[in-house]
Amino acid sequence: MKSVRELWAYRNLIYNLAQRELRARYKKSLLGWVWSLLNPASILAVYTLVFGYLFDAKPPVAGNGHTKVFALYLFAGLWVWNYFNGTVLGAIAALQSSGPLLNKVYFPPACPALANTLTVLLQAFIEAGILLVIMILLGNVGWVLVFFPLLILCVTLFSVGIGLALSVYNVFYRDVNYLVTIGMNVLFYATPIIYSITMVEEKNETLARIIELNPIAHYVQWSRDIFYGLTMPSTVSLVAVPLASFLFFVVGLSVFNRKSRDIAQEL
Amino acid sequence: MSSIRVDNVSKRFRLYTDRAGSVKELFTSFGRPKYEDFWAVRNVSLDVEQGTVAGLIGHNGCGKSTLLRMMAGIHFPTSGEVHTDGRISALLELGAGFHPELTGRENVYLNASILGLSKKQTDQIFDRVVDFSGLAPFIDSPVKHYSSGMYVRLGFSVAVHVEPQILLVDEVIAVGDEDFQRRCLDHIASLKAAGVTIVLVSHGLGVVGDLCDHVTWMDHGVVQQSGDPETVIGAYLHEVNAVEAERLRTEEGSTDSVSLPTRTAEAELVDDSGQPLEFAISERPVNLRIRLPQELADEEHSYSLVIETESGIIVGETEMSAPLARSGLLTDDFTIRCRFDPLLLAPGIYVGRVRIHGRGGRLAETMGSLAISFRVRSESSVPEGMFRLPATWLEDQG
Repeated sequence: MKSVRELWAYRNLIYNLAQRELRARYKKSLLGWVWSLLNPASILAVYTLVFGYLFDAKPPVAGNGHTKVFALYLFAGLWVWNYFNGTVLGAIAALQSSGPLLNKVYFPPACPALANTLTVLLQAFIEAGILLVIMILLGNVGWVLVFFPLLILCVTLFSVGIGLALSVYNVFYRDVNYLVTIGMNVLFYATPIIYSITMVEEKNETLARIIELNPIAHYVQWSRDIFYGLTMPSTVSLVAVPLASFLFFVVGLSVFNRKSRDIAQEL
Repeated sequence: MSSIRVDNVSKRFRLYTDRAGSVKELFTSFGRPKYEDFWAVRNVSLDVEQGTVAGLIGHNGCGKSTLLRMMAGIHFPTSGEVHTDGRISALLELGAGFHPELTGRENVYLNASILGLSKKQTDQIFDRVVDFSGLAPFIDSPVKHYSSGMYVRLGFSVAVHVEPQILLVDEVIAVGDEDFQRRCLDHIASLKAAGVTIVLVSHGLGVVGDLCDHVTWMDHGVVQQSGDPETVIGAYLHEVNAVEAERLRTEEGSTDSVSLPTRTAEAELVDDSGQPLEFAISERPVNLRIRLPQELADEEHSYSLVIETESGIIVGETEMSAPLARSGLLTDDFTIRCRFDPLLLAPGIYVGRVRIHGRGGRLAETMGSLAISFRVRSESSVPEGMFRLPATWLEDQG
């Protein structure tokens, strides 16, 4: 609790670090901000081509009853993944690269990771915003969008918790970074993003239950519910997901606080 | 009331040894710790009263910087506790956290937030920061175009304007040009006057002596002596001189010693009646008695004395002595005396080096080892600079 209050006191630093990263990122580039759209667009194009066209993936019908676009179905899950992935990997990189600074000035060592989260959050808003605009054009929007802030909050708490815990262990054992990179690749395919959970259920019931233990699967499902299917997330997940997210955050932060007390000398 | 309380603090660093000599060693050493313990600070206790200036001195690696970092909260003590009371600004490296691609203005805001300021607070100090740094024309250019001096000026300016209650300074004032160094010291003095608690780590003993109310001398992680600046600095210098003398003595024994014999000068300050003095007093007469080793006392030689500040700036050279009167009888060490009446040097610590000149005043050798360090204290007003310029003021009638 004390650490949360301290982080709050340093909110201006977190904001400034995020601003520094954003300002410096697109300086001297011609397209500037457009790059932040081109990256997800290219991935989306490739996945649509490979899985939607070549593998002939069949998306379910959207909430408006007629739209059936695989790219949108995919994108509704992909932006959640991008946010999670960017937060965790960014937290690890942010702590590692702020070693020189932490050795010169005192500030809560979680600040760089949180600043990075802010920049990734901005990216997530852009991506979700584009998705929303397309959905509005297609007439596929509903009141369930009110769950969007809760979804963002839950993904943030979960990702930050995981990211902080991993980032601090990475300082002591650099293996963590390599492990996480591999783990993220595996986790991407272990999460129903380019496929749906119903496809797994048809093949193997137990495997589907195992996949459902993965919290990210639920965030992806929520996003699909509120952006694509326009249905309420299930009642069970409405209780369990926020609770689990909060738990991950608290555990992650306390692990970070315990291990980061004297981190400057290790960096 | 103490602003900073260091209570029996120790700090251990682990020095990792990555080297595995052989595959066999790799296996046999498995499970054994791959590091050695190094205690940078050991059982140090220190109180810094609010509004006072404390100095930390000692040779490189004595633990003073580690102690300062623990005060700043960068390192956490292995045992013991550090209590601090108030906003801390630590000047460990100026401009730490500057991003080269961002402008000076953006970096001021960034740096101020690293030091814990809100945007509104930064708005309030911004103009003063820029004024002090003297970088107003460049404030909207990226700092990567700044010279290293400009970088440092902006960094210092931010650090001292964040209105710290505790200022920790580590050797950083030694950068920047002369003018900026002066302004830094002036500013630190004004912060001191404003009641800011300051801890200063420095090798510039003059600065420490001038600014500090209290000095702590550390050696190998433990406190050697702590107390009033003059006493502690004196004791520290005595130790440093003794170590140097010891080194010179051992070097003398080695085969590749320099051609002229090196001997530590035995010199002392004495009054006119020959009584030894602890230090010289500005504007009073004083004698420097120098004992010349026999092999340097030659009838063909005359001598002069070059006076330097501690940091090696030459203040001046005395007149040459007449050639020694005695000749041919120099079977023993020989004492000469250089008399200053009055001594015009400002208070401080100086080094006197004996120069030996051959016939006709040709410079034969500056005896680096024939040097003594002596202190000058004042009993009257202190002149600016290193010595009082002899001058007379006259009034011309219309």
